Amino acid sequence: MPAAKPPLPQPDVLTTSFWNACRRRVLEISVCGDCGHRFLPPGPCCPRCWSPRLASQESSGRGRVDSFAVYRRTYHPGMPAPYVVALVELDEGPRLISNIVGCAPEEVAIDRRVEVRFEAADGFSLPRFALGHGKESAKGGNS
Amino acid sequence: MSRRAVLAGVGHTEFGKLAGRSAWHLEAAAAAAAVADAGVQPRDIDGLLTDPGPAQGVLDGITPHFLRLGAQLGLDPDYAGSEILGGAGSVAIVERAVLAVEAGLCELCLCVYGDSALSAPGSFAYGRGDEAAFGFFGAVGLHALAARRHMHRYGTRTEHLGEVAIAARSHAARTPHAQKRQPIEMQDYLASEFLVEPLRKLDCCLVSDGAAAVLVTTEERAGDLRCPPIRILGHAQAHSLSTYASSDHFDRLPAARCGPKALGRAGLAPADIDVALLYDCFTIVVLLQLEDYGFCKKGESGAFVEGGRIAPGGSLPVNPSGGLLAEGYGGGMLHVIEAVRQLRGEAGERQVAGAETALVSGHGLGMNTHATLVLGS
Ligand SMILES: [Zn+2]
Repeated sequence: MPAAKPPLPQPDVLTTSFWNACRRRVLEISVCGDCGHRFLPPGPCCPRCWSPRLASQESSGRGRVDSFAVYRRTYHPGMPAPYVVALVELDEGPRLISNIVGCAPEEVAIDRRVEVRFEAADGFSLPRFALGHGKESAKGGNS
Repeated sequence: MSRRAVLAGVGHTEFGKLAGRSAWHLEAAAAAAAVADAGVQPRDIDGLLTDPGPAQGVLDGITPHFLRLGAQLGLDPDYAGSEILGGAGSVAIVERAVLAVEAGLCELCLCVYGDSALSAPGSFAYGRGDEAAFGFFGAVGLHALAARRHMHRYGTRTEHLGEVAIAARSHAARTPHAQKRQPIEMQDYLASEFLVEPLRKLDCCLVSDGAAAVLVTTEERAGDLRCPPIRILGHAQAHSLSTYASSDHFDRLPAARCGPKALGRAGLAPADIDVALLYDCFTIVVLLQLEDYGFCKKGESGAFVEGGRIAPGGSLPVNPSGGLLAEGYGGGMLHVIEAVRQLRGEAGERQVAGAETALVSGHGLGMNTHATLVLGS
């Protein structure tokens, strides 16, 4: 019996550029051409000043764990538990939902430094994160 | 003189697994119970607002829920609609009915919640767009992020979440219609499996078939009804739609903005509330609301719930009928109904002595929506 496949991203008019950048191993964030605000997910305008003049920028791929949850029950046959879902805050500011991989769930903690690690998945490249070795972010999160 | 709205008749079905009865059957039964409670006739209803539960959804093809239910109930109302505010929907439609009645758009507005989530899971969707690719499924994962942050920032312990789950079951033990009446102790809670750590199965609300309805009318009209009117002292909504872009989305609910508005209109402080009906899809949401409504200081809800303070006989009974955690998933309408019963003094064994004020909350979607009612006898 073939293994069940996990759900895949569903690029749309707003997110196609983001997912295409991921295939080039670039974590792309949106930047407002007027006020400079950096944000995710991509949108039709700047969520701060509503300017439609948008550009994109390559993220350093580094950030910190803002929060995380350990899935102990399997909800989808393509995503067997346990695995870690995290809210990652990039050093550039935007936050995104991703996974922390390459470590035991017990090693993950809020404020741990993380670095993006692209993983191939059925024609997509998913921006997941691994624990980094740098110091905790200067901002120290919201704590 | 301005028209003042009041809550009149209330009614609901059983909650649990009600095989063989569709959400439509349940909603019709709840509506009939509310009409009977008020002593009015179906033909008197001139407003219809609905909050369809998550499994049935607000649209059937292109047909909105209120249209199908309105046709089934034979209504041609002066005012109608459905809300899509997730768990804030029931409180929000009651609030909308209050506004409509006070504006003179209708005089006897029926507000209905219903679902058959246990028997017909229907449109329950676990995926949340692109986030599903990372296995981020369901409301439990989202609330686990909030619980983890609370534990990290304030030292909240798993036992504090447990206190909320235990209190809900002890309330439900005194509620004849509750779905889970078996009391639990801390050892049962700690033995409950993690679904999405730090949340356990016992941190999560029930899934239920059931429906509940409330009638909103004018103070003047209520004088002719068979049930005592319950006054609307204050109401408000507040929402946080930017989700991850907001640095405190998981730390502070929109209740922090809603509460002062609703309580301010009522001229009350949190300490003046006799009984709290707090939306409790997950135990962590009760802790957050205790703080964000100002029942305790930010970060101190864990200590606040120790010693049974929100349990039966505690100084702030929360959800005396058991709430979503133990009474049944009633979308928030059961919370409104329990507030009405407490303020009427007809809650039987679980009656909070001398209850004259109640606060009812709704919370929904990705921790995005919030609505508050402050009620008085
Ligand atoms: Zn801008």
